[in-house]
Amino acid sequence: MSGCDCSKAKAELEEFLHGELCREDAADIREHMEGCPDCTSEHRVGVVLIETVRRACKETAPEQLRSEILARIRVEQATH
Amino acid sequence: MATATLARERTYLPVAVTTLGLDSAVMTTDEPHAVPQHLVEETEVQLDAVASEAEASETEPVVDETTVSEAELRDLFESQALPFMDQLYGAAMRMTRNPADASDLVQETFVKAFAAFRQFRQGTNLKAWLYRILTNTFINTYRKNQRNPYQGTIDELEDWQLGGAESVTQSISARSAEADAIDHLPSSAVKDALQAIPEDFRMAVYFADVEGFSYQEIADIMKTPVGTVMSRLHRGRRLLRGLLAEHARESGIVPDAASTATMRGRGRKAAATAGRVEGKEAR
Repeated sequence: MSGCDCSKAKAELEEFLHGELCREDAADIREHMEGCPDCTSEHRVGVVLIETVRRACKETAPEQLRSEILARIRVEQATH
Repeated sequence: MATATLARERTYLPVAVTTLGLDSAVMTTDEPHAVPQHLVEETEVQLDAVASEAEASETEPVVDETTVSEAELRDLFESQALPFMDQLYGAAMRMTRNPADASDLVQETFVKAFAAFRQFRQGTNLKAWLYRILTNTFINTYRKNQRNPYQGTIDELEDWQLGGAESVTQSISARSAEADAIDHLPSSAVKDALQAIPEDFRMAVYFADVEGFSYQEIADIMKTPVGTVMSRLHRGRRLLRGLLAEHARESGIVPDAASTATMRGRGRKAAATAGRVEGKEAR
């Protein structure tokens, strides 16, 4: 075993979820989770949280914003 | 001296012209050092210096004002920067909380970015650069008008003062039920929960989870050490999880039997009443 236990996995889970661990550390966590339903379920909550936030925060700017920006940029350019 | 710097930066512009057709989506965020801190800081100086630099460049023969005309620069900006409009608007909505202010903020951001665009180094992280300007503009323009009693102190609070989820005490089945419940929450509930957590935490979560920025990129955007980013992100997500779990329980998405310590009373008020002592709930 690579010496990854629950406390290490849980401590590094956030970094793991955000792809901030080096390859070796990430592999350790993955290996640990394969045999640990507890850490796996904790990992799943983390993944769902990311996906839920991402889904909820999808926005489309009002239609006129683009043309307003283009107009502003032209004005800025003309005055410089 | 000043002209030397100018010439160095200007040499990036011909590249800009040749990459005009490139999709801005190729801009990756998995290069943590794509936007070095010095470049980000330069941006502010450049925002002020941009007018005088433009004048100076007219007397500088080696710079390529001639190769990149004003019109070409504008085309370049429109093709590279403008595709980020919806994304920036999404962030602006989380910052200002209303569509009118969010539109104004995004517009200001693009105007400032365009004014400084000659100093932007092609090939570096345009998305992070734009978010940096967005964040700056928000802080300088909008945050002033908002009451924010937590500013400057929120990072110093202890975890127990903040509240939020306590995953350690949860059973596997409870956690599984929690994941399902969060997954099924309506977007409005998720946005409300995001608005309820302190702004710095909220934006760290937004930058990481929605935009996929690396910790280093978020540190550059928020002008704060990476350690602070990690703390804000982890705490923000913990608070958010607590709020969402509470919401799920209240709206009956999760039956009470499956709810656990995480889901009990550690949500909505926790962020607002930071500092309140609360006993740990045993499971």
